[in-house]
Amino acid sequence: MPGLAPLLLGDGRLPVGAYTYSAGLEPAVAAGLTRDRIPALLRARLRTAAVTEAAAAVLALRAAGQDLVDYGPVQRALAARTPAAPLREASAALGRGVHRLARRLAPDRPAVTALSAVRPRPLRPVTLGALGAVLNVSEEDLAHAVVYDELQTITSAALKLLPGDPLDTVAWVLAAEPDATAAAHEALAVRTPAELPARTAPLTEEWALQHARRERRLFLA
Amino acid sequence: MPDQQQPTQQPPTQQQPNQQQPGDHHDRPTGTPRALRLGVAGPVGTGKSSILATLCRELAGELAMAVVTNDIYTDEDARFLRSAGVLPTERIRAVETGACPHTAIRDDVSANLDAVEDLEEAYGPLDLVLVESGGDNLTATFSPALADAQLFCIDVAGGGDVARKGGPGITGADLLIVNKTDLAPYVEVDVAAMVADARSARGGLPVLALSRKDPGSVAELADWVRSVLARHRDGTHIPSDPGPMAPHSHAPSHAHSHAHSHDS
Repeated sequence: MPGLAPLLLGDGRLPVGAYTYSAGLEPAVAAGLTRDRIPALLRARLRTAAVTEAAAAVLALRAAGQDLVDYGPVQRALAARTPAAPLREASAALGRGVHRLARRLAPDRPAVTALSAVRPRPLRPVTLGALGAVLNVSEEDLAHAVVYDELQTITSAALKLLPGDPLDTVAWVLAAEPDATAAAHEALAVRTPAELPARTAPLTEEWALQHARRERRLFLA
Repeated sequence: MPDQQQPTQQPPTQQQPNQQQPGDHHDRPTGTPRALRLGVAGPVGTGKSSILATLCRELAGELAMAVVTNDIYTDEDARFLRSAGVLPTERIRAVETGACPHTAIRDDVSANLDAVEDLEEAYGPLDLVLVESGGDNLTATFSPALADAQLFCIDVAGGGDVARKGGPGITGADLLIVNKTDLAPYVEVDVAAMVADARSARGGLPVLALSRKDPGSVAELADWVRSVLARHRDGTHIPSDPGPMAPHSHAPSHAHSHAHSHDS
């Protein structure tokens, strides 16, 4: 199981509703982002939102390992660092799918039952921490999975929004590896919810707010 | 969060292939069945939204209902239904499908389950939740993890040979609708032959020739939904899966070109 778990966590086919999310690509495209700028967007996300998300997931995984599991501090710290309401809502919607999976795999584990106590609904990184506990993955594996998922989310959505050769997207992901590794390391270095870095870029926030008011959209955010 | 699936959940290994345990569908705390989840699938343009509007008109007076739509763009069908005025607008929800309407009703039903559960929580207890698929193609059918029963809609304007071509929705949906029969004379389709083709492909499962201009056929549709709901409530309806893709292949083949018509 430990051998497969990290792969499962990073698998885009995991049935948790992730295909409804573009990690900011659709709002960026609406704001004028072109296909040649996708690698730059990947790097930007790795230096901003992905660090916060991965760090929050690792904090949640640590919380899941305590005798008394309490996700409250990391949930509140992450919500406070996600000022745009549509981004919090998207994160909670995605977290719901992860929660559903964790519930199916281990309904009675304290790491899972504690999610139901989180109000409002647990944000995605919090649920990923719980799922990571269920799958028994390491902090390193979880941080890399979250960062990798950010890349895959954007490149998969790119095939719908700015279509081109799918093989290009693999090259983009590989080219982003140094930034991805740096993001994971930075996330792992965060020790407490109070230290959680607030990295969401103002432009990401602004685009998310515009996106929420759009009628014809493919993705949550 | 409604934790509906937990108490009666069966491990996958205990399930029969293509069937869910009936217990999965009777999980209200009171022991009464939760709302029947009825999927409406079929290729784009065959009249799914119109069927939803018809069902709301016919049944909303006697049943507590809600609707979930899946679209290419988020809320086109939802807006159509809201403007039709057949149900309070807040009971019609649209889900984002990331341009994957097929995935949203079969491979990964998370977003739809969330929408259904939210509606039950907000307006429940409900009797009937209709889930409309995004117009996809002949191969898209609902997973039994989402829909207790499903109807599949084709129409005469799509050509008289569609029923003969088959596919999991045509052969295995709980009800097959041959829609827009009033248009048959204009598109030179023999409705009786099309229905006969469909019946022979379905091994006894029902086929309904429907036109919203034919009140008798509309009444039959409503009666069919009532009968499924009755069976759902008394526990005799076991959701079945029409199957994923029909055993079509990606090899060169004469008969299965339909499987690649991702025309929406």
